[in-house]
This record gives sequence, C-alpha cells and structure tokens, in this order.
Amino acid sequence: MTPGARADETAESIGREVASRKRSAVEVARSYLERADRSAKRLSTYLHRDAERTLADAASVDARIASGETLGPLAGVPIALKDNLCTRGIPTTCGSRILEGYLPPYDAHVVERLREAGAVFTGKTNCDEFAMGSSTENSAYFPTRNPWDLERVPGGSSGGSAATVAALEAPVALGSDTGGSVRQPAAFCGVFGLKPTYGAVSRYGLVAFASSLDQIGPFARTARDAALLYNAICGRDERDMTSRAEAVPVPLEEVERGVKGMKLGIPRDLIGEGVDPEILASLDRVAKALADEGAEVLDVTLPHARYSIATYYLIAPAEASSNLARYDGVRYGFRAKNETDLQGMYAATRGKGFGREVRRRILLGTYALSAGYYDAYYLRAMKVRTLIRKDFDEALARADAILLPTTPTPPFKIGEKVDDPLAMYLNDVFSVPASLAGAPALSFPAGMTRSALPIGLQLVGRPFDEAKLFRIARTWERRNPDALRVPPIAVGGGG
Amino acid sequence: MNATLPTPEAASKAGGATAGRYETVVGLEVHAQLKTASKIFCGCSTKFGSRPNTQVCPVCLGLPGVLPVLNERAVRFAVMTGLSVGATIAQRSVFARKNYFYPDLPKGYQISQYDRPLCIGGGIDIHVGGVGKRIGLVRIHLEEDAGKSLHPEGREGVTTTLVDLNRTGVPLIEIVSEPEIRSEAEAYDYLMRLKQILVYLDVCDGNMEEGSLRCDANVSVRPKGQAAFGTKTEIKNLNSFRNVERAIAFETERQVGIVEAGGRVVQETLLWNADRGTAEPMRSKEEAHDYRYFPEPDLVTLDLDPAWIESVRSQLPELPYQVRERLTREFGIPDYDGEVLTETRALATYYEEVARRSGNAKLSSNWIMTEVNGIRNKQGQSIEEFPIRPDRLGALVKMIAEERISGKIGKQVFEMMLTRPEGPEELVKAQGLLPIDDEASLRALARAVIAGNPGPAAEVRAGKERTFAFLVGQAMKQSRGRAHPEKIQDALRKELEAS
Amino acid sequence: MPIDAKVVHDVAALSRLRVDPSDEARFVTELKSILSYVEQLQALDVSGIEPTSQVGAGTVTPLREDQVKPCDVREEALAQAPDRDGDYFRVPQVV
Ligand SMILES: [Mg+2]
Ligand SMILES: [Zn+2]
Repeated sequence: MTPGARADETAESIGREVASRKRSAVEVARSYLERADRSAKRLSTYLHRDAERTLADAASVDARIASGETLGPLAGVPIALKDNLCTRGIPTTCGSRILEGYLPPYDAHVVERLREAGAVFTGKTNCDEFAMGSSTENSAYFPTRNPWDLERVPGGSSGGSAATVAALEAPVALGSDTGGSVRQPAAFCGVFGLKPTYGAVSRYGLVAFASSLDQIGPFARTARDAALLYNAICGRDERDMTSRAEAVPVPLEEVERGVKGMKLGIPRDLIGEGVDPEILASLDRVAKALADEGAEVLDVTLPHARYSIATYYLIAPAEASSNLARYDGVRYGFRAKNETDLQGMYAATRGKGFGREVRRRILLGTYALSAGYYDAYYLRAMKVRTLIRKDFDEALARADAILLPTTPTPPFKIGEKVDDPLAMYLNDVFSVPASLAGAPALSFPAGMTRSALPIGLQLVGRPFDEAKLFRIARTWERRNPDALRVPPIAVGGGG
Repeated sequence: MNATLPTPEAASKAGGATAGRYETVVGLEVHAQLKTASKIFCGCSTKFGSRPNTQVCPVCLGLPGVLPVLNERAVRFAVMTGLSVGATIAQRSVFARKNYFYPDLPKGYQISQYDRPLCIGGGIDIHVGGVGKRIGLVRIHLEEDAGKSLHPEGREGVTTTLVDLNRTGVPLIEIVSEPEIRSEAEAYDYLMRLKQILVYLDVCDGNMEEGSLRCDANVSVRPKGQAAFGTKTEIKNLNSFRNVERAIAFETERQVGIVEAGGRVVQETLLWNADRGTAEPMRSKEEAHDYRYFPEPDLVTLDLDPAWIESVRSQLPELPYQVRERLTREFGIPDYDGEVLTETRALATYYEEVARRSGNAKLSSNWIMTEVNGIRNKQGQSIEEFPIRPDRLGALVKMIAEERISGKIGKQVFEMMLTRPEGPEELVKAQGLLPIDDEASLRALARAVIAGNPGPAAEVRAGKERTFAFLVGQAMKQSRGRAHPEKIQDALRKELEAS
Repeated sequence: MPIDAKVVHDVAALSRLRVDPSDEARFVTELKSILSYVEQLQALDVSGIEPTSQVGAGTVTPLREDQVKPCDVREEALAQAPDRDGDYFRVPQVV
C-alpha cells in the first residue's frame, strides 16, 4: 500500500475513526497532506495550501474531542475549499489577479459551520476566475489537470475541488455552481457533485458571480459523503435573505431507502443528438439498473430547456457585470499604479486585474443591461427563465426526479475549447437548465469510457427534495462496478 | 429653522420672480435619512459625526461575498410616511440596483427601488399667502445612502480624494413630488410641511445641516397659459430651505432671461453655490448616465401583509394638519394661531396645557406666540428647553384672564418667572403686585398725590380739567400701576372736594 | 444595433475597463458570435409571461430587527486598502 490516504477511505469512515479516537485528526490530516504533496503540484489543484495551519486545525479538533466535546460526523475530516469561499485571514483570490494577496476579514457561513463541526481545511482550490468557465483554464494562475488524464481538463469552474477529491488529496470538498460549476467537474473527474436547491445553502461569504444562480455544493466519492457534507451546510442563515428554512439535513438511513415506486423522467427531447454515444449508453444502463431496483422510468419533456444557454448567457453576465463592479482598486485587492486620476485608475485596475473571460462577460452583461437593450435581452431572458421553470414544475409533477447526462462529452483536452467561448458555453447545455429553475441537481459517477475517462449523469429533483437525489444515486452506486475506483495518479508511487 | 410659515421674504417673493409673463414649474426630490439605530442592510450604527470609517462592517464596505439584509424599522418608517401623505402602499415592491462607479459607493451600485416603489401617489397640502393647494407626490421609495468623499488639497498641491464610509448604507426615503410647485414660496412651504410630517412621525430628525434632509429641485419655466413644460434643469446641493428658495428664484430668472433673449434652455444638472448665490453646471461625466437598473437578486421581493400595513396605520401619531384642525376646533383659535402653535408636536402640547389651565384659549395663544416665542427665538430655545413650564404659564394667564392682575403686571411676573421657580401667585404676593382697589387704600393714595402736587391740585379745583389726567398718572406712577384705573379717579375727585 | 468597435468601446467605458486596441477586434468577434447565438430567444413568444429575477421571489422572508451589531473587523478590513490616509481610504483625484 502506498503512503497517504487509502482508496476505500471516506469522510464517513474518517469521521467514525476520529470520533472513536481510533485515529487522531492530526494523523488523518497528515496522510492527506502527504498525498497532496505527491500529486497537487502536477495536478495544480490548489491555489493556497498551508500544512502548518491544517495540522494546527487538526490538533485543535483532537483537543476538542479529548475535552469530551461531541462533534458531528465531520469532526477531523479534511475538506478542500474552492477559492471563492471567504476564509478569515487566509488568501481568497477567486483565481483572479484582482484579488491577489487579499485576506478576507471574515469566514463564509459554510466555513463557519464546518469549523464548528470540526472539519479540517486542506487549502483553497483552483478555479476559473470568479467561477467563470468550464475547464479551470480561466484561472489567472494556472490550469488544473484531470487526474484521469493529465492532458485533459478537470472541468470547471470548481475544477480544483473536483480533481483534489478524485485524486484522494481530500475526501470531500466544497465548490460553487452557477451554471454547472460543481456538476460538470464532478462528472469530468468521476466523483459526486451536488448543486443544492437555490436557497438551500447560505451564500454569505461566497464571492458572487451571478447572485440569482450561485449555490455552494459538495464534492464527494460516495453518495453518503455528499449527503453528510450537504447536511453540514444546509439551512436558513439570517445573513442571506435568499436562504430558506425548508432546506433540512437528509439522514443517512433516508439515503439508503432505495427507489422502489419512484418515477424517473428522461427528457429525450432535450438530450437529442450531439451527445457522446458512450454517455447515452451509460444513461440507458443506469436507467435499466434503477428500473430493476423498482423505479418507473418514463419520458418527460422540457420544451424550453434548449433555450437555457442563451438565457443563461444573458442573465449570468448581466448580474456579474454588477457584482464585479466592487473591484475598483479603492478598498482592497489590486490597484494599477501611476494613474493620476480616478477614472484612469478604475479603467487600468479593472483592465489589468480581470482576465479575458471575465472582461468579456462584464462587457456582455453591461451591454445586455444598458439602456435600449434591457427589454430585448435581460428582460426577455428573465421571461424565458419563467418558461423553463414551468417546464421543470410540470415534468417534476409527473416524475420524482429527472435523469439526464451531466455533459454532452467526456473531458476534453486542455486548450481544445479555450479560444472558442461559445463552444465552451455549449458544454453546459445539460447543467444550466436546473440552475435557471433553481432545482437541486446531483451529478454522479456512471462508469468509464473505453478510454478510461469518467462519465457523469445528472439527477434533477423538486425544490428542497435533495433526499430523493441521494437515494437514487446511492441505489445506482451499490451496483456500480467502478464505485470508489481511483485514477492512476492516486495509486502507486505515481512518479 | 423653527418657523412654520414662509419667511416674510419668501412670502413677498411668492410668484414674484414669475409675476411677469412667465410661470416657474418646480418638482422637488427630497432624500430623508430615517432615524433607525442600524443601517438599512447591516448592523452598523447610523450615528452622525463619528470618527471616519468606524461605523463599517464587511457588508457596508462591499467586501467580496457579503449580502444585504433588510432592516424592518426602515420599512416601517417608509410605510408610516407613505400612509401619512395618503400614498398607496404597494403590497409587493422590488429593490433594484442602480449601477455607477464612485469611490464612496463601495459595491459599484446603490440598492434602491425603480419600477416598483414602496409608496405611490399621495400629496402634501400647502398654504401660501392664504391660499391652500395640494402638491401631488409621484412616489416614495427606500434606498441606501452613499458614503462621503472629501477633496482636500493634498501635499505638493495634488488633490486626492478621501473616502469615509460611515454614512454608507444609512436608510433613506426619496420623496418625489409632481411638478406642481409654482413658486419658491410654495417650494419653501412644501418642504416645511414635509419636514413637519417627518418630525411628527419621528422617522427623521429633519436636520438639513447634518444632511439628514436633502433636496434637489427640477426647475423649468414656460409662458403663462402654456400647457407644455419647458426644458428643465436639476439643481443639487441645496442644503437649507433658504437655499432652496434662493436657487429656484435664481434659476427661474436665469431661464426666463435665456428664453426672453430667444435662446433655448439646455437640460443639465447644476450645483447650487450658496456663497456666490448662483447655480453652476456640474462637471458632466464623460459618458452619459446609464444606470443599468435591474432587480436586486440578493433580496427577495418586499411583500407586505395588508394586516401589518393596517397595524402600522392604526399606530400612526396625530399629524400636524390633524392637530391644527383639532386646536382650531376645540379652542376656537384662528387658523393663523393654529399654524404657529403646531410648529412642533411639543409646542402644540404646551399650548394645550396652558389653554386648559388658564381657561382662556385665545389669551394663551397670544402669550405663547408673542412672549414665549419671542424669548425662544432670541435664545434659540426649543419649547422643551423653555424655563416656564405650561402649568406655571397657565396659572399666570389665568390671573390675567380673571383680571386679578393687569397684562402689564403679567409681563413683569413673566420676566421674573423666567429665572425663578415660584408660581405667579407667590411672585405677585411676594412682590406686592396685587392691585389696589379698596376704598381706604385708594383714598390714602389720592391724599398723598394731592399733598405731593399742591399746584396741579389747585388748578383742577379752579376748573382746569386737563390737569386731572396728570394727577391720575401720578397716582398710577406711585402705585407702580397697581391702582384700579377707574376707582382711583373717584378717589381723587372725592379727596379734591373734601380738602 | 450590431456590435462593432464603437459599441465595445462605449460599453468598456461604461464598465470602467481599459481595453487595448489589440483586444478590441477580438472582443467584437466574440461578442458578435455570442449575441447572434442568443438571438434565438427573439423567436419565442413571451407575451404575458412574468419575468423571473429570483426563484425565491414572493417567499416571505423575515426582515432584520433594527439592532446595532458592533463589528470587530474594522482594522482587518481597512488593512486591505491599497492606499490610506489615516482613517480614510485614499484614491486619485476625481475629475
Ligand atoms: Mg435617490
Ligand atoms: Zn455595516
């Protein structure tokens, strides 16, 4: 057995071992730090790591346990955080130059919650700048690599979090999902990734990209771990007026309840052509397996879902253009030097501080909101969003959940789409609809391609019904021959 | 500062500038700071005048990742104001982002309301030169204040800009009037009455100097009788009611001048310069304003329960015009008195007690309007600070009303009461100020006067009637005005005959 | 109005983004292709449809009680400023 974390290890098993004092949080942390030391550089999974701090956190967890404090199931569990989650006194750059060296003076709500629960943070993971991208190539610092094939992208924008979990550098991680930024990298890296119902998790301390779409979600290697992490962060927070009390934890016994009698809808009209045949094959395989387990599989339609990308690429950039106005070089972050007047300082700071993709979206969003275009673009997009929500309401009135691919293709090569924004955007065609509807969506591992690349499928449920998504994914997981399989880089010395 | 009626100057100007062939058309936008303890979207204090950047937190600093959480009292205060001016309260209103870059606007947008404000319509009744008129309101909406930018001359002469964000996020209501104001006097009266309502409601301290009440004016002119509006200009930086008047007068003259000269008024924003008494064009931003308003996605719609709105209505305090109406009705005082006595709620309450204790409503009103307000205006005292409390003044006015002392004596006692704690009864006794009206004392006084003025007495006896008045005067003088004016005359006659 | 160099220039000014001329042409082509893609929305009939700006719209959310919460992070926060003058943030002059 190679040093470092074990492939069969889960957040759940770690929590149990630490709680029963079979292992100390420090031992656990050390094993994951070792693993990360061996692969993180080659994968470029982290923007910021601080072993001392991680071990100190672990030590204090051990102390709390020794003092008789009973912590939750995540006590002593190492967790990686996407770099757009604010951590007090710890660099938080969102993969952008404009926040280089920025130290937030406060912790995000989810970070606070996890600290109380005794989680141990491994570091801040790489991501597309301000979560704008689907490959992590838009990080201002470096691209992250896919643990299953270092020539390929891990997906994005939460590519660092997905890759670090796939490579066993951390058992679980948090990312954020605006149009698929948790689900798509989860699919590309062969792990579970949940975008909770909009409002299920407080956004306080999540650096905003598109406020009406952003949600924080967990990455995990098992359905149960995904549920554990979701349980630790969900629920109402009075610092976020859009957070909702309907979001309640899902007991693990509930996750095990199977799918007997559940209705599973497949939106054939949306899936259509242009989808990789191996992904379609796995969709049928999973549907059949779930049918064998007692689920009723039926067809549903989402007639307006095909307008999702167009709708999303008006709404998200519009909100982003306003959300990113605060990066003006006045109170924090990067400020361009040698500018003698304010307007020059603004333009130079933002022109130099933001990368191409971010500037492109700010321009697009500003245009879509500007006088004379608002009705034709932004307002119309908000109305189409209503139509898309209606589609989901109707489909989910007939079915308990919707099953569809997470992405149309397996992971693509680094550099393959980076110069063609539209092609990159179209990769989100299956993840964006649920974002616009505000519905919960879970991407789960559904086998491998012949060339040993992960395939992810997606479940979309009714608002605040994450439980069914976990139940369905868990049911398939029990029958999945590739469950807990790890990429070569996480096995053996990995040179 | 504490006058309710237009200043004489304003009144005289009423329609003055536009007395000619032109009519001025004015709409006012008033920003009022709400008297909440904490800011509209965070828990920071709203206290005025603290050390720079001490009342800030991640939320009002606009740090990455923060979110706004709406202050219940700010909403309540806005609704109270709307109900008090007869506006319709929207059961659903929507916050929107107004996007623009400025150093004292941390997020790069102001959270305000745009196409769905909290209050719609309503109006404010004004009275100028005895004429009543209702100025309609377009809307009242909630928004957050911005911070302050200072532009000091820095080292080696380069100006830099310094930013203080203490004020950022203080709750504001913006009250927008219809363009129905027709003179600077009407504008002044409108502002006074609006401020009075806000202060009666205790939702705003109405202090223009500290910027808790700010006013922008939209001004245009048109030939009398013309229906179409002229091109308007917006005047900002009007930091006192007087400056609002002066600015409107100035701008009216300027625009009339342009039109008279056959020119055309350009739509622009002007800054009022109080020192020079002129409105100067603002350095216009290089690119036209495009605020890109859109619904604030960090806040859900503001949905108000009709029952809650009604509970707010039921708890509204008595408003200036209601108190005015009640005082004139209950005490039968003239409208003018009603106006003056309802300047503040405290003054109205003061009057009510004086009137009740004295039993003479009009006499009480006269004493407060002349004596009390005279002193207060000299000292710059609020009625709360005024040393003679209503119970003591009421007792004094009662004595005068019952003619137990003359008004003249009353004034002396009033002066004493300003600096002494005793009531009027004690002072009158202690100072021996009670009137002399018993036969014996009057005869004694008469004898003394005759004895002291043998010459004039002889003249009267000799039939020189004109000199009799002199003797009466002497008697009043010696008695320091206490002798009964009629009875002393009989006493003198009797003594003149007797001796 | 179709996207051209002028539009990109104006929108960049509105967004306070300095775009060097070399980039401008590329932004024009990229924005053109994206906007021509979103044109498909014009084909939809959205008459009488309420816009969705927030999926949480219409949900009754408790408002914040008006209470002052002292904040302990002032120094930490102000320490992030690129330029300060004592208690103030300092920026180049506003023209
Ligand atoms: Mg305003
Ligand atoms: Zn604050």
